[in-house]
Amino acid sequence: MNMDSSPSTRTVASGSPIDQAEALRHLPPAARAAYHHFAASGEVQSLDPVILAILEDFIPRKADRPLGEYAGDTRLVDDLGFDSLAITEVVFFTEDLLAIRIANEEIIQVRTLDDLRGFVRRKVTERLAV
Amino acid sequence: MTPLPVITGLGFITSIGNDRATVLRSLRELHHGFERHEFLGNPDLSVKVAGTVKGFAFPTPNWRDWRWPGEFSVDRELLRGLAPHGVYALCALQQALTDAGLAPADLTDGRTGLFCASAGSPFLLGHFLNQMHANRGERGNPMGIVSSIAGTLNFNLAAHYHISGAVCGFVSACASSSHALGYAMDEIRLGRQQRMLVVGAEDMTDESILPFASLRALSTNPDPATASRPFDVRRDGFVGTGGAVALIVEDAALAQRRGSRIYAELAGWGQAGDGHSVAASHPEGAGLGAAMRRALADARVNAGDIDYVNAHATSTPAGDRSEALALHAVFTAAGAKPRISSTKALTGHGLSLAGAMEAGFCALAVAEGFIPGAAHLTEPDPVCAGLDLPRASLDEAPRLVLNNSSGFGGSNVCHLLRRPS
Repeated sequence: MNMDSSPSTRTVASGSPIDQAEALRHLPPAARAAYHHFAASGEVQSLDPVILAILEDFIPRKADRPLGEYAGDTRLVDDLGFDSLAITEVVFFTEDLLAIRIANEEIIQVRTLDDLRGFVRRKVTERLAV
Repeated sequence: MTPLPVITGLGFITSIGNDRATVLRSLRELHHGFERHEFLGNPDLSVKVAGTVKGFAFPTPNWRDWRWPGEFSVDRELLRGLAPHGVYALCALQQALTDAGLAPADLTDGRTGLFCASAGSPFLLGHFLNQMHANRGERGNPMGIVSSIAGTLNFNLAAHYHISGAVCGFVSACASSSHALGYAMDEIRLGRQQRMLVVGAEDMTDESILPFASLRALSTNPDPATASRPFDVRRDGFVGTGGAVALIVEDAALAQRRGSRIYAELAGWGQAGDGHSVAASHPEGAGLGAAMRRALADARVNAGDIDYVNAHATSTPAGDRSEALALHAVFTAAGAKPRISSTKALTGHGLSLAGAMEAGFCALAVAEGFIPGAAHLTEPDPVCAGLDLPRASLDEAPRLVLNNSSGFGGSNVCHLLRRPS
């Protein structure tokens, strides 16, 4: 199966509100705490450990050390082994959790850990500004 | 020389054991694998027993919640595309490859193929479709299709093991993995492949088993010790089970070159349709009888040469009767009286898994020199008069063994296994 990650005009709408407890259940306690801090404070930088935990959860092959120890310019596909399926899963999960919309052409611009952290911060900031 | 398919590796994840030694002991000592099971958390349902697979747990559709015995390794890259029975299948195949002395690198040169059988995962498919309806089609798990539809085993295992030979899935309900094994034999006999991996598996979930209650096919006997009693006059339906069995089938010449243990030769197979009913067996077992005769003819042996028949008999009133009549037509009428038992008395009915599972049991019987007894049989149905149904397992080494399977639509498949010469 070849998941389509090519540029398209399709934007995935965020679905109905999700069960946050169920969505967060598999993330480690520190990431859950960070998410709750973000939810209470609106501080988008609190999401960084949440993003790393989501990546840890969907990474096809477990990395040899925690993703937090990797440099910001580490590439998701070439260095960490993400494939289009796993990226799609990360996108869907993140959209649902953070109530944001991520277009295919946006996500293919995201190549590194820093790109992703910055991208999510920006998308959430835009959403909070509305 | 015509290639001869032989079995060189076995892997078992079954209700009666998750390794060869435990399965062998269960078959010899007639230990069943049944437990009381509350389907859908509903104590009011009349079906109370299942052939549970121990050491595994699939409490939710989310693979992060799944558990399996620590001796097996399941990468998350693979896990995200698997159904519960895919986990069973991977574990069974890991066992079988180790048993056959094969490493993953031995499977990639195009001379090894993979034939699989399962009904897919109603458990996961139902979940994904419910999710899709709930979010009005705006979301889906990207692995939803490959993990849940029939074919999920061959999709996943072929990719994981980099199989570049023949890859196919078989769907004929309870004859599915028997078809997989039969056609795997042909791949080798025709010289197309030197080695075939054959895997049959099913989820052990309420969603896979309970729908058979609507057909009145499941036993409502609440006692795990007697709920499955093929050929007994008080049988009242089958007990469902799941799991996986993997068989490594190789050309005998390759097996000999590798110095492999040969469990059994696959001497022939036959299949025939009933041409009768979508769900019920032919009342006189016409198709099953024809399939048995074709298997005998394929192996160039006579009914009188058969030492043991592993019957399909699932413990349903109509199905067992139909098979008994077919056995009479093929054997009694020819003056032959092989030992007969249905190991579903111990395991339950594994649906698509059944044929491969019982071929694995037959291979053990041939290799270890015993005949599994007809467990839980106290009062044989009068239709069985004249059939030899030993109540206990026998220390008799069978030379020729017939393995019967029948599926919906009257699809009947029989394999003939022979002690290596």
